[in-house]
Amino acid sequence: MKIDTFFRHIREASRGIRKNSWMSFAAIGAVAVTLFIFGFFLIFTFNISYLTKELDKQVAIRVSLRDGLTADEQEKLLENIQKDPMVSKANLVPKEQGIRDLKQQWGKDSDFLDQLQDGDENPLPDMIHVIPKNPEQIKQLEAQLEKNSSQVEHADSGGNVTDRILRFSTFMRTVVLVFSLALAILAAFLISNTIKLTIIARRREIEVMRLVGASNWFIRWPFFIEGAFIGMIGSIVPIGVSIGVYYFFHQILSDGETYGLFKMMPVLDLSTRLGITTLLMGIFIGSLGSMISVRRFLKI
Amino acid sequence: MIEMHDVWKVYSNGVEALRGIDLRVDQGEFVYIVGPSGSGKSTLIKLMYREEVPTHGIVLINGINVKRVRDWKIPHVRRKIGVVFQDYKLLPNLTAFENVAFAMEAVEAPRRKIRTRVEEVLELVGLTERMHALPSQLSGGEQQRVSIARAIVNNPTFIIADEPTGNLDPENSWDIMYLLEEINIRGTTVVMATHNKDIVNTMRQRVIAIEQGVIVRDELGGEYGYED
Repeated sequence: MKIDTFFRHIREASRGIRKNSWMSFAAIGAVAVTLFIFGFFLIFTFNISYLTKELDKQVAIRVSLRDGLTADEQEKLLENIQKDPMVSKANLVPKEQGIRDLKQQWGKDSDFLDQLQDGDENPLPDMIHVIPKNPEQIKQLEAQLEKNSSQVEHADSGGNVTDRILRFSTFMRTVVLVFSLALAILAAFLISNTIKLTIIARRREIEVMRLVGASNWFIRWPFFIEGAFIGMIGSIVPIGVSIGVYYFFHQILSDGETYGLFKMMPVLDLSTRLGITTLLMGIFIGSLGSMISVRRFLKI
Repeated sequence: MIEMHDVWKVYSNGVEALRGIDLRVDQGEFVYIVGPSGSGKSTLIKLMYREEVPTHGIVLINGINVKRVRDWKIPHVRRKIGVVFQDYKLLPNLTAFENVAFAMEAVEAPRRKIRTRVEEVLELVGLTERMHALPSQLSGGEQQRVSIARAIVNNPTFIIADEPTGNLDPENSWDIMYLLEEINIRGTTVVMATHNKDIVNTMRQRVIAIEQGVIVRDELGGEYGYED
């Protein structure tokens, strides 16, 4: 595209917006409402995926070792496990550390552990903590680790809970993705109707452009830019409001006692992603909307 | 050059607008298309600037089969055709100069070239004085001259005019005809659908008469041949 042509498209686009300022305002409003809903979906999606990643991190196999293995034997076993291609990380947790970790986890309710720990007697076995590369392979890995029965007492991946959490999060991700896409397409059609009105006002221009042999993209560009701009402007308010609302809920829900399972994505992290995604979505919806409506006038 | 071979046009409502048209217009010709209302003149004209495609048969514009040409190439076909309408189709918010320049901008001509070329064609149509007037400030004849200037500004090989004098009084009609004649003399083919008996009978050219979608007469220097 020539530079003159490029500036012409920009000029035409801004002329279109100014000339139909009320229509543009309505279109911006339509984009804003849609993106507002979209914003909440994003908050939900991002948090689900954040939560899933957090859970994935927690997915681990606890391999209890048999009593009486020497330090060398333990070291050897650990090395073997670390070499396994399914394993992302494995480390040895001696029983002394195990009891310290437990105490920390239970906090003020850890008194009963002192009673269990009769003198120097530690009821916990030495353990190897194994994190799989792919959480979905956890069962397979568990079975494989358990095969080494001479050294391994028991391998435990936490049973069905992890499994169910994994399945649920995959399901939720799909649902949210499908829903957001459907919403975006719906919004584009909604906006295309508004933008159509600004295009009808310029029907004669399009007709003349076609007759003198303007290429279809030459005709489309100003409308494309106009739509993208409307989408961009329309995304500002919803971005602000969604972040504000999230900040508010984050303050309430993440304050004070937090529980391992319910973790919200940090505000700054979410704001950046939400802002960029919503802005791009706005531009996408706006330009798609104007493409849909200009198409009808571009019969060749 | 325009060629048509056994061209049929049937609209979706079943109306057979053209029924087996064979036609050839060579470079540099001046052709009138005449016939009663509803005879198929407009459809024939529309096929010539690729506003319509034939239902059956072949239309060649400068050797290009308009039915086969890819969508994105159609604008390039149209650049070789200038179209003039009865109702001028000027953009009301642009001046005469801007209306003509618009056609060059649309084909992405360099800006330096636009200014000189637009002034040149406005001079040719005799509107140098009025080039900064809006269409609403121009008379019908002047508006039609702007639209002719717009049609020729990109140096098309032919001009298609659909009743260009239909809205004009006799005096203005003759001005337009002299202008089209001059453009034709400079080498551009002119094809013009018309109802104007006086013009056809005075400025003798090739006449193609069409009735009920069929060519009934095609003669060089012919008469209008109808009473209206």
